[in-house]
Amino acid sequence: MSARLSREFLLAYIEDKELPARSGEPLAAAAEKIIRYGAFVGSVIERHGSLNRTMLYARERIEHCERAAVPVANGTVILADTLSESKGRFTREWHAPRGGLWGSLIYVSTLLPRYRMLVPLAVGVACCEAVREFGARDAMIRWINDVLIDGYKVGGFLAESFTGHFSGEEYCLLGFGINVNNGVFPEELAATATSLTEHLGRRVAVDEFACCFLAKLWWNLGLLYYQEEVELQVDAGKSYAGTHPLISRWLELSDTLGREIIFGVDVVTSPQYRATAAGITSNGGLRLILEDGSDIVEYSGEIRYLDEYA
Amino acid sequence: MSNEIDFDEILAKYRTDPYKYIDILAPHTGTIEFLVEKGSGVDAPGGEWKHIPGSALFRINRENNPKTVNAPINGIVSEICGDCEGRFVEAGEKLLTIRHPLKKKDIIESILREVLYLFPAPETAKFFFSLDIQSRIDKKGSSGVTIKSGDEVFTMSLMKRDTPVAYTGEEGIIHSIYFKPGVSVQQGEPLIGVCPAGKLGLIQKVITRVKAEWDAM
Repeated sequence: MSARLSREFLLAYIEDKELPARSGEPLAAAAEKIIRYGAFVGSVIERHGSLNRTMLYARERIEHCERAAVPVANGTVILADTLSESKGRFTREWHAPRGGLWGSLIYVSTLLPRYRMLVPLAVGVACCEAVREFGARDAMIRWINDVLIDGYKVGGFLAESFTGHFSGEEYCLLGFGINVNNGVFPEELAATATSLTEHLGRRVAVDEFACCFLAKLWWNLGLLYYQEEVELQVDAGKSYAGTHPLISRWLELSDTLGREIIFGVDVVTSPQYRATAAGITSNGGLRLILEDGSDIVEYSGEIRYLDEYA
Repeated sequence: MSNEIDFDEILAKYRTDPYKYIDILAPHTGTIEFLVEKGSGVDAPGGEWKHIPGSALFRINRENNPKTVNAPINGIVSEICGDCEGRFVEAGEKLLTIRHPLKKKDIIESILREVLYLFPAPETAKFFFSLDIQSRIDKKGSSGVTIKSGDEVFTMSLMKRDTPVAYTGEEGIIHSIYFKPGVSVQQGEPLIGVCPAGKLGLIQKVITRVKAEWDAM
């Protein structure tokens, strides 16, 4: 497969690869339903040579459509080969040269708040599954959704909510940046970043990887909607007894629990405290045991593993 | 938000009863086992990160999952639902009341909350001022910053999802800030108190009067 990424290409991937792959998993019986729920992902796929930022472009696209009273297709994916003004969280820069997968997904937020909290985990799971499928078998997730290979970051994600000025619709913009074939990093990132090509020692077909990642995102976002339906059917006064399947999958792919960590809202510039990662709550919060033995659950913020923290 | 303050009435109320009463409700259905009694002193959460829980108030057991509920604030247990001990309760049922002693600054804040426009947290999350508002606060102080409905004033951060939050309310200056950047705020709790320009004199009067009357007691 080396066709340019398109909705048709993605649909074919879902039918020929993703659905059969999921047939061996615990939710095999519900696989088709989950796929239907996630079908909005990549409803429209736009490719650009260069943009300033895909998140900014996505916002401008929404505003333009709203002014023109034209709907924005739910699930639109905006991709760019390079970004000229990419940025990470806070005031951090994001290096986005040719060879990586840089993009944003626009979707209308219809999940209930407690399930919406799991969206950032879902995108981390999707990336980790995709990089593993392409050969990086040791890729792991660091809470919340940093994907690391041998301790080096290969993918980062941002989520922003945005309310349409005219419609009042709440959009969620999921930004993703995955180092695929870009193997040269600026000095400030060289010590912490890696790419798929650097790890595998060979080039990767970016379009094929993009298709795989979007297919995993399709599945994992579909899983959130599916599980919301399941849990809402539980009788009033009772609670769902099991673990959310996305949390189960996240736990399989993450090496965070049991690690000594340092936590901060912006852990790079203002680390706050040390703790041991002890568990994950049903809505994605990280349970931490502090040095004095007390425990706290954090729902926002970042961690770094103490044995890798400089 | 009110335009007039009956100082005598309000101050008389706080003089005779300088306490805040916090009702503790059952967070969900379950069977109750109290760990305090009427008259027990309780402590608020402590520690630098508020990570040390407050005093244990009761255990609630639902489907063999016991959960301990702790005091959110310090004070004395002034009321307790004795009938609830050992029985099944519904979500939201009042179980006990904590009487929290108010200091002068608490009373000033309570009165100000009746005068200011309070903008609440839309969700339980961590909040930050937007970059533009923060830089204006850094330059002129919060009381030098005027905001109006529609201004993007906050960024709400939850699970790495950042949501801009626009202020909706009366135009005015940011008089009181009730949150710390990066510290979780519960949904519905006030983030800021906004004072319309014309009410600033009234605010100053409140603060001056309470300080003078309280010190004279």
